[in-house]
Amino acid sequence: MGIQDVIEGKKQWRAHLARVKALPPDYRIVYKEMQKYLFRVGPVGLLDGPLLPGIVDFFEEGVAAGKGVLELIGSDVAAFCDGLVKDSPTYADAYQESLGGKSRTTGK
Amino acid sequence: MDDLTEMLKGTLEGCVLEIIAGEETYGYAITRQLNDLGFTDVVEGTVYTILLRLERNKLVQVTKRPSGVGPPRKFYALNDAGCEELAKFWTKWQYVSSRIDRLREGGR
Amino acid sequence: MNFWETVTGGDLTRDWKAFEARAEALPDDCRVAWGQIKVHLLPHGDFTGRNLTPILDAALGLLEEAAAEGQSAHEVLGDDIPGFCVALVGGGGARTHRDRWREQLNRNVARKLSRLGG
Repeated sequence: MGIQDVIEGKKQWRAHLARVKALPPDYRIVYKEMQKYLFRVGPVGLLDGPLLPGIVDFFEEGVAAGKGVLELIGSDVAAFCDGLVKDSPTYADAYQESLGGKSRTTGK
Repeated sequence: MDDLTEMLKGTLEGCVLEIIAGEETYGYAITRQLNDLGFTDVVEGTVYTILLRLERNKLVQVTKRPSGVGPPRKFYALNDAGCEELAKFWTKWQYVSSRIDRLREGGR
Repeated sequence: MNFWETVTGGDLTRDWKAFEARAEALPDDCRVAWGQIKVHLLPHGDFTGRNLTPILDAALGLLEEAAAEGQSAHEVLGDDIPGFCVALVGGGGARTHRDRWREQLNRNVARKLSRLGG
């Protein structure tokens, strides 16, 4: 990654945070809690992929439609997050795979 | 009917594919259609996570179009891989439902 | 198993030795699988490892049954040994981290949104 990419990445991240800040309070609260959870779960590509900006796109649509955030995504926010990252590998998966993959070859 | 969430898991994706196969459409309209069908617990967030997966798995063609209110809307249409996936879904559904019916008839 | 002997009390060391003796009697592939199960379950144990004893016992029992039936370890455990271990631990009543994070997320959201409304 070159220095230009780092600067670009920072700019994009700041722009992203500005959009989050512009959301109504209930959306902002839910977004921030979701982000915390997603950082822990750690789907591969979380920081440079389309997932987080996509959530803000989706939330902006919900705001425009005059909906409350839980009306939009349901009250089980964790289930919504799990749906977002379903089928995408996490860093933990990658780690487990390295353990499982190694031992599998010795097992045969 | 309430409390279908667990049972619907795994089939909602097929339902969404079927709805998109009918015509190019967007998340909110898909959710309304599922609600009208009787799946009243399905919220937009659920459909959003499904659409995200369909897009990630390259089963749909996505087009952004301006909407009357708020940010542009994403419209979804099935591509060839999506059509194949839908056909597979119906085959599996046929198989599962016929076996379950058989189990029930045999159990009497 | 020095770690266990230094950290755990006498009864646990005894359990552990009994496990190892049973594992010694298993066919090779089951013994390898046993080693993998231990590696994957250890992070779930509390400091003394006491909460793991029944789980390890059950897993070992499963392998013994497989061996007695002439099945391979692969046939009873499948490809995903880490996943199997998580399921084992979950089934034993232990909470995985992810479950705790889920609960925390929903709790925080509920608390902060209610504060907003009030």
